[in-house]
Order: sequence, then structure tokens, then C-alpha cells
Amino acid sequence: MELFNLEVAVANFGPLLAGLLMTVELTLVVIVLSLVFALLVALGGMSRFAPLRWLVKSYVEVMRGTPLLLQLIYVYYVLPEIGIRLDSFTAGVIALTLNYSAYLSEVYRAGIQAIARGQHDAAAALGMTGVLAMRRIILPQAVRIVLPTLGNYFIGLFKDTALCSVVSIQEVVFTAQILAARNFQYFTLYTIVGIMYFAVSFPAARFVGYLERVTKSGYRRKRS
Amino acid sequence: MNDSDYLARPPMIEIEGLHKHFGTHHVLKGIDLAVTVGEVVCIIGPSGSGKSTLLRCINHLEIAERGRIRIDGQLAYRDEVGGVFRPHSNRAISAVRAQVGMVFQHFNLFPHLTVLGNLIEAPVHVLGKPKEMARQRGIELLAQVGLGDKANAYPEELSGGQQQRVAIARALAMDPKAMLFDEVTSALDPELVAEVLTVMRDLAAQGMTMLVVTHEMNFARQVGSRVIFMDHGLIVEEDTPDRIFGAPREPRTRDFLRTVLER
Repeated sequence: MELFNLEVAVANFGPLLAGLLMTVELTLVVIVLSLVFALLVALGGMSRFAPLRWLVKSYVEVMRGTPLLLQLIYVYYVLPEIGIRLDSFTAGVIALTLNYSAYLSEVYRAGIQAIARGQHDAAAALGMTGVLAMRRIILPQAVRIVLPTLGNYFIGLFKDTALCSVVSIQEVVFTAQILAARNFQYFTLYTIVGIMYFAVSFPAARFVGYLERVTKSGYRRKRS
Repeated sequence: MNDSDYLARPPMIEIEGLHKHFGTHHVLKGIDLAVTVGEVVCIIGPSGSGKSTLLRCINHLEIAERGRIRIDGQLAYRDEVGGVFRPHSNRAISAVRAQVGMVFQHFNLFPHLTVLGNLIEAPVHVLGKPKEMARQRGIELLAQVGLGDKANAYPEELSGGQQQRVAIARALAMDPKAMLFDEVTSALDPELVAEVLTVMRDLAAQGMTMLVVTHEMNFARQVGSRVIFMDHGLIVEEDTPDRIFGAPREPRTRDFLRTVLER
């Protein structure tokens, strides 16, 4: 085969796999951080304290109204000008977390608002405070509802981490760029990268599909 | 029991001059009502007469603009100083709600918890009861409502009548001083109504203080110690079941009863 050079593939597989691991690591860190941060953002957006609501809404709108690529560049290249210097991994994590939390907070909000009024009434009538009801009654149901949607966002995130190549995180795309600059084996290198992405995101998408079926089937006793 | 028994006992729920609007709609136009310990008061009346709103105000699920609510002698939810309301803290409001059980038309069981989970949730997390104690009490209560075998089922796996019985048990698990029932059989298939009413009858027989908004005239007649007829946000007539159903004084009561009993 002329385009795909097996020798090059074998020789570069190691560094590319290391790049993929960096991609996965970046994704997992951002998933954990944004799951927590987005929930705080969602709750802040529903606060009775108006200034907090406005702050949260402005943040969400700015994040959704500007490109992720620009946000990455901003955190890594612009912040140092005001004295905030971050290594590339931290910058990537911060930009991705801020961006994804804006979207995920809306997902959480939709989930929380999807819980029927009667659940709040029942919790309140049993003497639960708002915080306790949120923690024990509303959120467990809301999270279950939004689980598949969150999953889809995280598959998107996994692919969006490729943008971090612009802040020189050694993830898989940036790794391929460096290798290609040396040996010009674009077809081989980028094909492998594509396969690597697909090899992760396809099973992940199937898993989300499974989650969707489980969450739609309602709450039932496990039959043993 | 006859009327005079109640006069000697203290009121568990006392309502004075309660007013409530939804927008421009005046839903409650000055309600005065006292429910004595051990009494079963049934509220009947056409849809939109304010019956459910009254019940929801008693549990502070709706907030009345004017009026006072006392639960077991204590002024609930807010103080009134010189015509100005000072709401109690959220914690104090929740503490009062915890003393009054409420059962809803649509059950409102927590779908993500098992039946027993529904029963122990508030005793454990609101009252701080040890989990094992709450479980034992929960199992007792399930047996009492005839669902001893359903502890580990999820609400969705039960019929409407079973779910409503769980909801009653859930409210009882808090050892409430009084129980509010908000049209609890209205969402049920006709053949499932009886099992819920039976549980409520038993509860009344055990001396539970109950305020029951209902369309079940037979229940009101047989179980009620007093029946209240509400219309357009006012209490039109209140009397013993015999007199309300046998010889209503007010024309509006007569018209209403004629319509519902002819069905």
C-alpha cells in the first residue's frame, strides 16, 4: 500500500498512543471538574439571590457566545499579560472546564426543572428543607434524567480536546503534527489518529445508548 | 363520638381569617376553621371552591396573604407584629410541616426510592431517627396498610391504590399530629378507591386527627365527625354529616349535594 506506510505506523504508534492517553487524561479531568462546577453554576442560576443569577447568566452567555478555540487561546496567551501564567495542561483544563460547564449547567437546569412540582411538595410536606430536598429527592432523579445527555457532551469533549493542540498540550493531534513535521507521513499518521479517536468514541457512544435505554425504563427492582 | 366530646378537647389545627389570591382570583375569602384532636373533618364542595388551596395553606405549600394558622397551639410559619408579617426561618417552617402529614391526589411518591426507602427517608434525614428504628417502624406501617410484601418494590411497580397506601404510610412514618388528605382517591381507578378509604377509616378509628378534602360523599357521611361545605372560597355550611347530608340548611349546599349524589 502506497499511502499507508506500515513501517511508519509501527514506528510512531508508541508516541501516538502516549498522545491518546494524554487526550483521555485531559478529557477525564475536565469531566470530573465540569460535573461539579456545572452543578454549582446550575444551582447558582436558580438562586433566589438576583446578583448571583445575573453573574451566572452572563458567564453562561459569554461562554456559549464565543468559540472554544478563542477561549483556549485567551487563557493560555492572553492571561499571562495580566500576570496569570499557566502551564499548557492547566490552561487547557481551565478553558475546557469553563466552556463545558456553561453548557452542562443548562443540561442540569433542564433536568432539575423536569422534576414534577409534586416531588417538591411531598418533600416539603415531610419537613425537608429546600437543600435537603434538592440533595435527596430532586438531584438524584434529575441526574438520572440527564445522564445520557451528559454522556453525549463528554463524547463531544473528548473530540474537542484536539483544540488543545494550539496551546501545545501533547495530546494525540499535537503529537501527530510534530511527527508529521519530521517525516511528512500525513496519511499514515492522521489515519491512525482518526482510528484512535473512533476506537474510543464509538464504544462510548454505544455505552451512552445503553444508559439511555436504562434511564428510560424507569425504576424497577433488579430481578436476580 | 358525639359533638360535645370535641368541645372539651384542644384544637390541633386552628385557622383564622385566611385569605389567598392567585393573581386577581380570590381563592380563599376569609376562612375560619378549627380541627380538634381526634376529629375527622371532611371538606366537600365543587371544583375551584378553594378546598385544596386551604389544605395546601395549612402545610405552607401555598402562602396565604392574610390570616393565622396554629398547629397544636403554636402560631405557624410567621409572626404578625402590628399588621406586618415576619416569616419564620425555613428551618422552623419545615419543623412545623414535619408535624403534619399530607397525602396528595397524585401520590407524589419518590420514584427513585423503594417503598421502604420512601418511608424511612424523612424520619432518618429530617427527624434524625436511627435507620434501623425507621426501617422497623416502616415495615410495621406497611403491614398496617396491607403492603407488608412490597417493602423492596419501587413505586412504579405498584397500582395506584397501592401507591396511595404507601403515601399514607410515608406520612404516618413521621408520627404526625394530624393528617391532611387532598382528594386522595380522585386520581384512582374506581375499583382501587375502596382499599385507600379502608386505610383512612382505620386511621380515623385509631383517633388520628384528620382533615379530608374529598369527593367521596359516603366516606364523609360515614367517617366524618364534621362536614364542611365550601364554595367560592368560603365555608358555606358546617355541621354533622347527618345534618349536612340529611337536612342541609343552605340552598347552595342542597344544590351541590343534589348534583353529586345524582351521579
